[in-house]
Amino acid sequence: MATISAPVGGAQLERPKLQISQYLRWSVDHKVIGVQYGVTALFFFIIGGILAMLIRAELLTPALDVVANGQEYNVLFTMHGTIMIFLWIIPMWAAFGNYFVPLMLGAKDMAFPWLNAFAFWLLPPSGILMLLAYFIGPPEAGWTAYPPLSTLFSGDGQTLWAVSLHLVGISSILGAINFIVTIKNMRPAGMGYFQMPLFVWAMLAQAITILLATPFLAGALTLLILDRISGTTFFNPAGGGDVLLWQNVFWFYSHPAVYIMILPGFGVVSEVISTHSRKPIFGYRAIALSSLAIAIVGFTVWAHHMFTSLTPELRIPFMITSMIIAVPTGIKIFSWLGTLWGGKIHFTGAMLFSLGMVSMFVIGGITGVMLASVPFDIHVHDTYFVVSHFHFVLFGGSVFLIYSAIYHWFPKITGRMLDERLARIHFVLTYLGFFFTFFPQNLLGMLGMPRRVAVYAPEFQGLNVLVSIASFVLGASLLILFYNMYISLRRGQIAGPNPWRALTLEWTTTSPPPAHNFIGDPVPFDDPYGYGTEAAKAYIDAIERRLGPSAPLSTDPRRHEAPVAVGD
Amino acid sequence: MQQVMEQQLSPQELQKLRNNRTGLFVLQVSWILVFVSLIVINLATRVNYPSWPPPGVSEPPVALPIIATLALFGSSVLVQRGYTAFTQGNRRALVRQWTGTLLLGLLFIAIITYEWLNVPENAGLYGQLFRLMTAFHAAHALAIGLFVLRTLRRVASGAYDQKNFWTVEATLKLWHFVTLAWTLFFVVLYII
Repeated sequence: MATISAPVGGAQLERPKLQISQYLRWSVDHKVIGVQYGVTALFFFIIGGILAMLIRAELLTPALDVVANGQEYNVLFTMHGTIMIFLWIIPMWAAFGNYFVPLMLGAKDMAFPWLNAFAFWLLPPSGILMLLAYFIGPPEAGWTAYPPLSTLFSGDGQTLWAVSLHLVGISSILGAINFIVTIKNMRPAGMGYFQMPLFVWAMLAQAITILLATPFLAGALTLLILDRISGTTFFNPAGGGDVLLWQNVFWFYSHPAVYIMILPGFGVVSEVISTHSRKPIFGYRAIALSSLAIAIVGFTVWAHHMFTSLTPELRIPFMITSMIIAVPTGIKIFSWLGTLWGGKIHFTGAMLFSLGMVSMFVIGGITGVMLASVPFDIHVHDTYFVVSHFHFVLFGGSVFLIYSAIYHWFPKITGRMLDERLARIHFVLTYLGFFFTFFPQNLLGMLGMPRRVAVYAPEFQGLNVLVSIASFVLGASLLILFYNMYISLRRGQIAGPNPWRALTLEWTTTSPPPAHNFIGDPVPFDDPYGYGTEAAKAYIDAIERRLGPSAPLSTDPRRHEAPVAVGD
Repeated sequence: MQQVMEQQLSPQELQKLRNNRTGLFVLQVSWILVFVSLIVINLATRVNYPSWPPPGVSEPPVALPIIATLALFGSSVLVQRGYTAFTQGNRRALVRQWTGTLLLGLLFIAIITYEWLNVPENAGLYGQLFRLMTAFHAAHALAIGLFVLRTLRRVASGAYDQKNFWTVEATLKLWHFVTLAWTLFFVVLYII
């Protein structure tokens, strides 16, 4: 049985004062870089969110009111989609990965600290280019940028859009290299691949996906830029090119990108559900390996985005692979339910959002299987059914899990607890706002309302008003999170090293961790999810003795005691 | 010989070397896929044509490109032999062999430039793809060639030794990457 290393007297140091200036300059500390990624991503989340609010305000009535014409509306949803995907969700996972992968491995930093900083600093220029694109003839071809919309019709901003995505792509490839090398080479003695926390497994699967998929985005974007500025005709049938070529290569990247956006989240649920229900994770290996399975199968499904443009013989194979990918995802869902079963569930903010995600993601998953079915897809292709589906997996999946990760790890990053009461209000508003924003869109889609239009048939207005009002609630709910973070930074309860009494290594150091993360070499507990044993209690108590007390979860003393073994 | 050199490293240095090796390998896997993506685009485009090159465009003569390819193979042999000599402590052999590498590399670039300039006017998309792929590869050959030159000059002036050899090893592996990427392109551009 493992114990933590030699106790160091007075290790619970004075909390360092928050210095904003250290986050505004070049730093190679993975924790600083993690926060830089996170704050940058949240900034773009706000911009993308405002664009979403504008879209929903426009759709309150069937006529044009917020925008002057359809083209302006095209710009809104193009910028909304691109910013949310490339400048919010993907960098936000890089934020958590950067901050926590080295900590969870007991390492001092990432394998290549300089490269890590470089990868982050590609992001602000890329974001600036994206915003500039908006002002110089904005892109209006949707985030998927299908030619000829993106080559012959869109403004000059479309070129900047492509350059911006090139930078994001390079940034995420460099980040992925760093994660793979760190995870492969820098695990502590005694931690094999199958003793790693599941978040680290998920980041590994994500990094592999980024590494193998992003080069194809780079290839496609290069051709797009050449078509726009140098008169080549790769995507122009008039010059012998092929518009479907873009769709194929783009989706060969962008479908795996869906898993790039959700896999780290699957890691977060595994951490949160096990820790906050005080129970060993059910099916550790199944969860770890199903991440890899998703990453691999994810490369074989891209053409299901093209059922209506593909040669009919190719539809069935892609339908089958797309349905198969529900299997590893289902394995995860059932493993999480198995973990919850009989656990001592604490409805913390982190837990609520993880549970909320499991319920919402199942809806997204089921509509996904429906869409994978060719006969159904052909009917609802390019309707709100599709919009609903991918928001259920991207918001109901990824964003819920980002929230969950914020509530779980904010105390470690800042040293202060978030207010749990505000967290519950945030959760309820988000959950209801989210559901009533996106579920009615399923109905709208099946009734035949097309996506990407500002003007729609009057009979759709009732549901659209419901959707828009719910979306304003959803947008407002974000303010509660920001308020919570703000008052927590000002006067939140001091967290202490391990407020959730968790077993993974990031909790065996002070909050926030010192410059090189650990005082002495941390020794991992045998099983990162071995809750409910005397050994686990002893390990956690040893952390408390060494590093000082942590904030209790609540005044209820039972919540702070060692978890009891469950089952029989 | 490599193992002997690694035995002289401290655990931290060894960890750093392992990280560098894994990192470069992973980078090369990802980067070669950019070349593969262009190959895929080439193959996917030609499916739309009855023949490739398209009717009316003449087959490019292969004599010069074969010479260019052989030059690159030769340069890879030399770069490897130079590195092996360096690991045995023979700097002058590295300088000699790598000078040969660079000369062969120059020959390669010269031939490819000639090919790039002599794409027929009427070649259309075939010519665009040909120029894109050769230029993309040549840019890598040029950049990495300059890196070879830099490492070579530093070795000649006494930099790097038995304990500090990662840059030399990385240069070697990057040049092999140029050869590998060209081999893939050569098959697609001239053979099939």
